Amino acid sequence: MKSARAAKDLSQKDVADIVGVTRQTINAIENGDYNPTINLCIAICRALDRTLNDLFWEDDLNE
Amino acid sequence: MNKKGLDEMQVQKKNSIGNQAFVMLLYLLMLDAGLYGFGFRWISYPANVMIILTLTAGIYVIRLITANAFVGPAAKTEKPLMTVVMTMFFAALISAAILVLMNNTSFSSPGQIEEISAPLLFITAGVAMVVAITTLIIKRIQNREDE
Repeated sequence: MKSARAAKDLSQKDVADIVGVTRQTINAIENGDYNPTINLCIAICRALDRTLNDLFWEDDLNE
Repeated sequence: MNKKGLDEMQVQKKNSIGNQAFVMLLYLLMLDAGLYGFGFRWISYPANVMIILTLTAGIYVIRLITANAFVGPAAKTEKPLMTVVMTMFFAALISAAILVLMNNTSFSSPGQIEEISAPLLFITAGVAMVVAITTLIIKRIQNREDE
């Protein structure tokens, strides 16, 4: 998620504002400290123009 | 998504802290009742209950602020220092005014409300000031860490 955000040249605050959560929540998700609901996952995916698999599915390609 | 209230992580934290504060309130009230049963009266009723409530509420609010679950994403604009200081001064002024009014009016029953009104109002004002200062300090520290 961090790399997808960096690729779009957005800060945590920018993503937080688009999605409608606090910057701390985005930070906690990126660090793996918080598991977001599916609604928030979808909102983040839309904000970053990625799919759920790209951002939240860990395999050899997406790590 | 909803930008008016707390976000989902904040709601989760708030619920958890709220539950703990509620249990703490229960324990403190039970402890107070137990001490009273054994004949130990640290302060007369109703000041004991008010102090326990104020203490628990104060801890609840401070924990909410430190966990960043007090205000939602929409209300994140930083207030200038002068506004905070003025608010604190105004709160103290109102407390003092209420105290003077309560002493001058006859609705307070002698020996009960009058005895505890002063400490209660000062405790309330004190807690409000502690909360305001803590919010200010934590917000500044968090903002510095973010940058």
